[in-house]
Amino acid sequence: MSAELRPAPTVDDGIVRDDQPLAAPGESPGRRTARAFVRNPLGVFGVVVLVGMVLTAVFAPLIAEYPSGYGVDVLAPPSADHWFGTDSLGRDIFAQVVWGARTSLMIGGAASAMAIAVGVAVGVAAAYFTKVETALGVLVDVTLSLPVLPLMILIAALAGPSTWTLAVVIALFSWPEVARVVRSQALSIVGLPYVEAGALAGGSHLWIIRRHLVPAVAPVITVSVVLTASRAVLSESGLAFLGLGDPNGWSWGTILHNAQRSGTLGTAWWTAAMPSLAILLLVVAATLVSLAYNDARNPRTRED
Amino acid sequence: MTVMRFAGGRLLRGLLTLWFAVTVTFFLVRLLPGDPALAVADPMMTEDLRMELLADYGLDRPLPVQYVSYLGHLLQGDLGISFRQSLPVTEILMARLPWTLILTGSALLVTVLIGVPLGVAAATRRGGWVDRAIQVGSVLGQSMFVPAIGIAMLYAFGLYLGWFPIGGAIDDGVTGLDAWISILRHLVLPASSLVILQIGAYVLTLRTNLIDSLGEDYCDLARAKGVPQRRIVWRHALRNALLPTTTLVGLQLGFLVGGAVLTETIFAYPGVGRAIFESVGRLDFPVLQGAFVLLAATVVVANLLTDLAYGALDPRVRAQ
Repeated sequence: MSAELRPAPTVDDGIVRDDQPLAAPGESPGRRTARAFVRNPLGVFGVVVLVGMVLTAVFAPLIAEYPSGYGVDVLAPPSADHWFGTDSLGRDIFAQVVWGARTSLMIGGAASAMAIAVGVAVGVAAAYFTKVETALGVLVDVTLSLPVLPLMILIAALAGPSTWTLAVVIALFSWPEVARVVRSQALSIVGLPYVEAGALAGGSHLWIIRRHLVPAVAPVITVSVVLTASRAVLSESGLAFLGLGDPNGWSWGTILHNAQRSGTLGTAWWTAAMPSLAILLLVVAATLVSLAYNDARNPRTRED
Repeated sequence: MTVMRFAGGRLLRGLLTLWFAVTVTFFLVRLLPGDPALAVADPMMTEDLRMELLADYGLDRPLPVQYVSYLGHLLQGDLGISFRQSLPVTEILMARLPWTLILTGSALLVTVLIGVPLGVAAATRRGGWVDRAIQVGSVLGQSMFVPAIGIAMLYAFGLYLGWFPIGGAIDDGVTGLDAWISILRHLVLPASSLVILQIGAYVLTLRTNLIDSLGEDYCDLARAKGVPQRRIVWRHALRNALLPTTTLVGLQLGFLVGGAVLTETIFAYPGVGRAIFESVGRLDFPVLQGAFVLLAATVVVANLLTDLAYGALDPRVRAQ
């Protein structure tokens, strides 16, 4: 039709789309991204750390005995017997951190999965359906501007602390961030000619969203999964630190809560340092992975 | 005229945010399985006593009635009565709010005072080791768990070196100048924890904005005129780079307040956050709910002020 006569829409808005040319023919953008990612040592380090933590969480029973009961060595500093030392009840902190990885990662992963599902649905809907755009946009902005930690505390306290409560509460206030990112990416796609062409060719809304929008925002989602999960671990640690953790489980925040409550911070630095380092390592690894992935995906920063 | 419209729009948005916050909490609190009535009413007590107690707290009426009455009371600054202390929640929290404002306010101030030079240093030495160090530091700071920073500071500077007090907000029985010094000394560790947590976002955003500004035509023109580079950076480019950076304040405020809750808990700082921590243990829901509403209101007001300042600084915003 007249599509060829129309001037091409200018897309020089600084937003990177991986379906844009620039990539040499013959190799898919995904392969190029993967190759660039592997060349970045920081990104690889991040992936190794994350995989290591997931493995630790899965195989926790094989690595350390479940920390329970009271031990003989109270507040022992790190040694060959107790790598990370012991707490005020003589329980091994290495075992707590290993089992804590299980709880922390499980809550982080579950909260992230829920937040991503809702966030992608809302973000794509807000970009595609102009009628609900304003309403959803306001909802997202309003939620983002509120201090969510006090709200999470209130709800977690009311619902009673359990692993699932925490995951749901964290997801409840994590999706707006995902929706915001997904929406801004989807908005830049909605205006492109091929989406319009899809509609003109008789494609249903659902088909266009599934076939064109979701694949286009998929890279953003990939980054979001990692970042949202690491933020969820931080939120869980914060709630557990305040005493809202699952009383029947260990999480990194719970270890810190115990250290704070037992008043041993001044004499036994390892009770607080070890879980803190675990959290830091996880969040730094997640951040590095997302940064490296973004760099690898961006043709302008990628060194081909 | 446009200024009024802009300010009015922002005010409306602030009110909407606040209404949303209040409404969501009200219904969440009432609809969640952990019925607040159970927290006041002991299941062991007789039915008559229980009903009387519920009536005292207005928990026996239909939900919509409770909602309207809650909003009505809220407009008069009444946040209900604490379950545990038999004091008005407003009274409890208002005594705490100034400390939280001092803590978050000084953290924000220090963040700007240190963050701007760091952002400028990174942007003007783009790609160099200073830039890299600042970027790595920013990412690390943002990745920290607030209690972890707090505990490390407390351990190093409070207990080991003994430079600063490890808890509280002011020493007993000090007056005049000594009182101010005491407040400042107590503020150093908790405020620094918050600065470490949030400064990265500001530095990285300012860096990006400044690099963009420095590439603009007006900077090239200034350079062509022979304006010294220092002056171009600080007088020409920085002004325009700071504007979009101020919008970050709005996005970060909620985060800062969350950080303050955890920091106050560690340093036994007598702010709203510490009140939240104490109320969690006692299941004092009116205080928890009131604290959230109060903190949300604080964030909304601070956001409004930022938006108005932004509108006053940037004529383009008003024109839209």
